[in-house]
Amino acid sequence: MTTTVSKAAVVAERRPAKRGTGGVGRPGFAWALPATAFFVLFAVIPLVLVAVLSFTSWNGLGSPRFAGLDNWTKLFDDPVMLNSLWLSVLVTVLGVLVQTPLSILLGVWAAGRQRNRAILSAIYFVPLLLSATAVSVLWRTLLDPNFGVPSQAKWLFGDGNLLGMQSGAIGVLVFVGAWQFTPFHTLIYQGAARAIPQVLYQAAQIDGAGTVRQFFHITLPQLRNTMITSMILMVVGGLTTFDTVLILTQGGPGTDTTISAYYMYQKAFKSFDFGAGSAIALLLVVVATVISLVVVRVSGYDKMRSSVEGL
Amino acid sequence: MKTPARISRAVAAGVALALGLTLSACGGGSSDSAGGGDSDKIHVLVYGDAANKVEKQLVATFNKTSKVKAVLDTIPGADYQQKLQTIISTPQAPDIFFNWGGGSIKPFVDADLLLPLDDFIKEDPALKSSFLPSVFDSASVNGKPYGVPMRGTQPVLLFNNKKVLADAGVTPPKTWDDLIGAVKKLKAKGVTPIALGGGDQWPTLMWFEYLYDRVAGPKVFEKALGGDKSAWESAGSKKALGMIRELVDAGAFGTNYDSVKFTDQGSPTLLATGKAGFELMGSWEYSTQQDSHPAFAKKDLGYSSFPTVAGGTGDAGNLVGNTNNFYSVMKKTKHPEAVAAFLKLQYSDEFVKAQLGIGNLPTTTNTEKFLGASASPAYSKYQFDLVKKAPSFQLSWDQAYPQSASTPMHQAVQQFFNGGLDTDGFIKAMQALPTA
Repeated sequence: MTTTVSKAAVVAERRPAKRGTGGVGRPGFAWALPATAFFVLFAVIPLVLVAVLSFTSWNGLGSPRFAGLDNWTKLFDDPVMLNSLWLSVLVTVLGVLVQTPLSILLGVWAAGRQRNRAILSAIYFVPLLLSATAVSVLWRTLLDPNFGVPSQAKWLFGDGNLLGMQSGAIGVLVFVGAWQFTPFHTLIYQGAARAIPQVLYQAAQIDGAGTVRQFFHITLPQLRNTMITSMILMVVGGLTTFDTVLILTQGGPGTDTTISAYYMYQKAFKSFDFGAGSAIALLLVVVATVISLVVVRVSGYDKMRSSVEGL
Repeated sequence: MKTPARISRAVAAGVALALGLTLSACGGGSSDSAGGGDSDKIHVLVYGDAANKVEKQLVATFNKTSKVKAVLDTIPGADYQQKLQTIISTPQAPDIFFNWGGGSIKPFVDADLLLPLDDFIKEDPALKSSFLPSVFDSASVNGKPYGVPMRGTQPVLLFNNKKVLADAGVTPPKTWDDLIGAVKKLKAKGVTPIALGGGDQWPTLMWFEYLYDRVAGPKVFEKALGGDKSAWESAGSKKALGMIRELVDAGAFGTNYDSVKFTDQGSPTLLATGKAGFELMGSWEYSTQQDSHPAFAKKDLGYSSFPTVAGGTGDAGNLVGNTNNFYSVMKKTKHPEAVAAFLKLQYSDEFVKAQLGIGNLPTTTNTEKFLGASASPAYSKYQFDLVKKAPSFQLSWDQAYPQSASTPMHQAVQQFFNGGLDTDGFIKAMQALPTA
């Protein structure tokens, strides 16, 4: 399948383009105009407005009052804010650690040719089709300490106070996130695993490598770029976790699961302090950007090494 | 930096988008969008739920005789306050709107958006005298009346499961010591003494509201709300907190109360299925149980008022809870006379009968005449007598304080219960709340 790939098409896939290719086969900028217009309209302009708003004091009534650096100084003195950043990072990292191994294993398995694989895969992808809200409500009910699963499995859950303590509540958030999104990442890995040329495996077999060895020496290295893509999606998803927190914990107990995205919502739409909410939003943008850049740098994603043979 | 109003709306829209949230722009079941553009209409905005039946009926009654027609707009569910705050300073603002009195309208009063009702009351003294004073006063801001009661009162009561209490040889507690005794007996029986939906946070707050009142009287909280932060450090405040600590440590609420919610039927089901003996809850517990556990509600659901505290200064008859919901009037309404006429309906016989018919308990002085027609006469009468006789009816703390205080307040009560905050920490947290 790789032999039919034209060189121009491969070059076109690279971003950023290698200098000096003379733009052979690269689509013109005009193709990106509609998307860019939307992006500017619905992301860039609001972001600028939020930046402006973060220097004002506004409760949604009348006009915003200029407040200088008030919101920002308050934010950096606010223990809840710093804690919320830490919690966001924690939930994100735990999410990546839980979901990545699971989805790689499942994805590679689902790429194979076992019997009943299609049926099992289909069943397995169901959580992906549900809205996060429905999923949260479902688990909230399932985890009810007196009438849900914990009441039937006391040896495992004790008094079932999962959502009433920090470690339990964070565990539930990570678990529910993983339950819902692992299938999505599995899908990505499945596609990537299928694209690995069979030639490599045949060669490994001739050299006498077993299944496990093949997995570690061929499959994993070949999935590298997919891993980065998937992890960036997980990081963005983790940092913007909101609906599960809103329904499962409301940031509680106390402020134990008040992650940044939820804290922003609380400030803006519960306390009607739009200045503070905007400042948190902006901070979250900065943090997410920095983390994404770090992931890209560390992984060498920016060099975009092609996995296509001979290039 | 002066931003013209037009820009600020764009900013508001930008915020909503950028925060990645959609301010649900559903106008609910309203036929047409509200707007000051209607020259011959007044718009009445209410919280969308089952009680809208009565509001619709009253609007229809009003429209039969009025030249200026009333239009009912609803905002369904929990988005009400957010949506209201978004439209209230725009041309889409209603003429009359539903609210919770107290802190929920204070920001609007401060922004000079609301009409004080003094002049209406001068024209029609019945607009004030037809309502129970303790209720009417809870919609006063800075000493001026801003709201007319428009639904039912919801005092917080101590509900119990009669069967569980009888099995444990417990009677509804009259004093704090009775309650502690009952907790020990119920615990020995292996049931959770008191069901608590701690996950919702506001049910936990009810324990603070009552204990502060019973120990130190309503004045302490009023002082604190008025901006005197030293009230939180008073001896009464510390004593009340000590008693809450004692109750939690005695295992009154079990250990997993923070994983239980009222809103998903968690705590009411504990009470109904006999896994708990008591639940402190607003009067809506009764209709909640009638809906989900009708047999229990009929046979075994008991209720009593909150116990007294020995040596405490609060009257045994004092209540806390939601006094009622209110209609407030926008200053810029074009039809003040039509609005005044509409408000008059809120103490009419028709209104009282209709509210009682759907299980609400209105707070007009003539309610008593119709109590026999209510869905559950004994319960309605019990409640009405309580409210009528109450020397003080403290609006729920999270409604009395400005909106911006409710989240930190809820967090503090939850953390005090689970040991995350000690007495001093809780006092500091309460002192940090914005009072105005």
